Amino acid sequence: MNAIFFLLPAALLLSGTFLVLYLRAVKQGQFDDLDDPPQRMLHED
Amino acid sequence: MNLVQAPLRVADREDPVARPCTWCGTEVESAPDAAEVFCCSGCEAAARIISGAGLDTYFARREAMPPRPIAPGLAGRRAAAWDQIVRVSVGDELVEATLRVDGLRCAACTWVTERVILDSPGVVQAQVSYGTGTARVRWDPRQGDLTEALTRVSRLGYQPRAIDAAPATDRDLLLRLGVAAFSTANVMMLAAAVYLGWLGGMSPAYAMLFRWVTLVLATPVALWSAAPFFRGAWEGLKVRVLHMDLPIAIAVGGIYAHGLYATFSGRDSWLDSMTMLVTLLLAGRVLEQRGRRRAAQAAQALAAEAPAIARRISPLGVEVVASAELRPGDRIEVGAGEELAADGVVRLGEGRLQVALLTGESEPVPVGPGRRVVAGAVLVEGNLQVEVQAVAGDSLLGQVAAMLREAASRPPSPTAADRLAPWFVGLTLLIAVGAFFVHLQLGGAAAAVEAAVAVLVVACPCALALSAPLAAHAGLGAAARRGLLLRSGDAVRNAARVDLVALDKTGTLTWGRPRVVAADDAVLRIAAGIERASVHPLALAIVDEATRRGIPLPLGQAIVETPGKGIAGQVDGTRYTVRSGGAGQVEVVDEQEHLVGRIHLRDRIRDEARQAVAALQAAGQQVALVTGDHPDIAAEIARQAGIGQVLAGLGPTDKAAWIQARRAEGRCVMFVGDGVNDGPALAVADVGIAMGHGAASTVLVADGVLVGGQIGALRAGLVAARAAATATRNNILRSVAYNLVAILLAVTGLINPLVAAVLMPLSSALVIAGALGVERRVRRELEP
Repeated sequence: MNAIFFLLPAALLLSGTFLVLYLRAVKQGQFDDLDDPPQRMLHED
Repeated sequence: MNLVQAPLRVADREDPVARPCTWCGTEVESAPDAAEVFCCSGCEAAARIISGAGLDTYFARREAMPPRPIAPGLAGRRAAAWDQIVRVSVGDELVEATLRVDGLRCAACTWVTERVILDSPGVVQAQVSYGTGTARVRWDPRQGDLTEALTRVSRLGYQPRAIDAAPATDRDLLLRLGVAAFSTANVMMLAAAVYLGWLGGMSPAYAMLFRWVTLVLATPVALWSAAPFFRGAWEGLKVRVLHMDLPIAIAVGGIYAHGLYATFSGRDSWLDSMTMLVTLLLAGRVLEQRGRRRAAQAAQALAAEAPAIARRISPLGVEVVASAELRPGDRIEVGAGEELAADGVVRLGEGRLQVALLTGESEPVPVGPGRRVVAGAVLVEGNLQVEVQAVAGDSLLGQVAAMLREAASRPPSPTAADRLAPWFVGLTLLIAVGAFFVHLQLGGAAAAVEAAVAVLVVACPCALALSAPLAAHAGLGAAARRGLLLRSGDAVRNAARVDLVALDKTGTLTWGRPRVVAADDAVLRIAAGIERASVHPLALAIVDEATRRGIPLPLGQAIVETPGKGIAGQVDGTRYTVRSGGAGQVEVVDEQEHLVGRIHLRDRIRDEARQAVAALQAAGQQVALVTGDHPDIAAEIARQAGIGQVLAGLGPTDKAAWIQARRAEGRCVMFVGDGVNDGPALAVADVGIAMGHGAASTVLVADGVLVGGQIGALRAGLVAARAAATATRNNILRSVAYNLVAILLAVTGLINPLVAAVLMPLSSALVIAGALGVERRVRRELEP
């Protein structure tokens, strides 16, 4: 069961990475407007 | 028809065919072989701007036709002082401003507007949002202001207007939610292992490791993510109000304190339930804030005004200035179709003023020298010189607007859940203390602490706190999708109780502007051909009617507009003049002054009004017409709309007093109006609804807005509100029932962390399911 000493930090590290990415995305304002970007995508050249 | 005295020559040149205008789609007559067809110079200019910017793909991409733009020569009339717009510095010598853009009808509109703004000198970034109808523009003020960019936008037919400030975002809550969700996911994984360990036996070392990691993960949730609840509870305590945040704060704080103690002493804690609770509550709060923000944004955008201009007469001639720069004593010139920029006295000229927005009178009133006029009134015909007496905030319009803004900032009333909160807190604390002492007698200190904490945990009114906001949010959404934008959960709750709907007449039940009521097709065709480039209210009505009747507009040529004399132009090779023919009439004459025909215009009832009123009455609502207009006109409109109860000739305060009286009788009154004169009534009504096109200040004071001006949406809105109220009631019952059962179990010591971790999300799920049922219920009732 010693695998847990490796797996637990690994799991936290992995999910922590996603947390940091999410926090950065929020700070950049990516969640401020959820209605337009899907529309905008259709019109980008 | 006898009125037609001059011969009408329709097919003079080689047979013209009806073809849609390349820009706006209005049917016009054109030579069969023309590559492009335009209904007016405005549309042609708009298409040139698009081609010039290399955006031709717009024509293929658009899903809706744009509004008809104003011809370039006339655009100046509605021009705005864009160099005065409110802007914020964003560093790098750049400034940013947020504007409202009217007329966006599809995603392609958004795209093309954005490109056109971006193409203008000095602009480095432009983002146009279709959802909110706003544009965020960032530019370099050293290279110019926004005048160029926004003039081009308005030439496309989209009207930019200024709004006060950029809307706030909910980033803070999203960050807190992210951290809480991250912790919950990991804590749940650990907790599952620990609970399974109860069955299979887990070595104490692992159990301890998991408990410590859980504590580390739960700490930021309790101390940072849950901070808004602690703050809310504290703010409430300071003003001696116990609201929903308090029991939440007690539970979170209690569980965390117990978690610290339990972890250090090697016992199981309830931290897993705590992280999930905070996550759910934050998610509910994000939803609530989003809904509120969207409504606030929409209201703010509707209340937006362009910084208006006025034409000031100085010794050197006529200069165009921002209306804010006017001073008492200045003399300004006002032409037909223009709005007065200031209060004052007419010194020269005559005309007729439309003051519907201010007094509710539908017929324009004649004005002449010596007559006092107020800002916001629109000159329907004539030409005036006005000596300014009061400007901006000092004007009558400004004062009323300020009064209404003040009324608009009233605090929200407590929700049903908030009213339950004090009882909840008291009862829970009492039971927790009781459980502590009972278990102290039975099983000692450790068991007593466990029991008391168990009560606090399961008594946390998570589901209760979510119940009202979620249901209100669902109700707001269901009403908004049908055209009625309610501003808050309060408005939804009040709308659910409404039993008397009072409607204003001008602009609410009627169009609020002249519409053609009688005209010969041939006459209408000539008039529309000549007037199709004009922005005059009567001209717009004539072109609208011709388009509605499916008459292709002939191309009027050599058009000359002479203020006070009408518009002259050539159609089918004959020269005609279209001019005012007395009150409510426009006459068309040929070169020999022979009368060709008359067009009768009057404000008339909206097409869907009768049906909307009938739907309200069928739903058991009493409907009344409350207006400042003449009793005879009011009675006629009421008859057409099928309304029995009519109150005419009421001033702004009379309307408010009438509503107050009905409220005193125990009625719950919804009032719908659009004018500044409706402001006081909107403010005192249980639910005040402003029309989307109405005066800016009414939109601010109202609890809701009919976005498209479709009064048919009222019934749908009321149904949605009622469904939301029912869902709220059911949700509160469910969550209180859950809490009672859970507390009973906790007191008897039957609850352990595992049971709590399963029960709590279940109760929240029940509440969420209740809220999701709102839309289904509304649909079932409206489309049986």
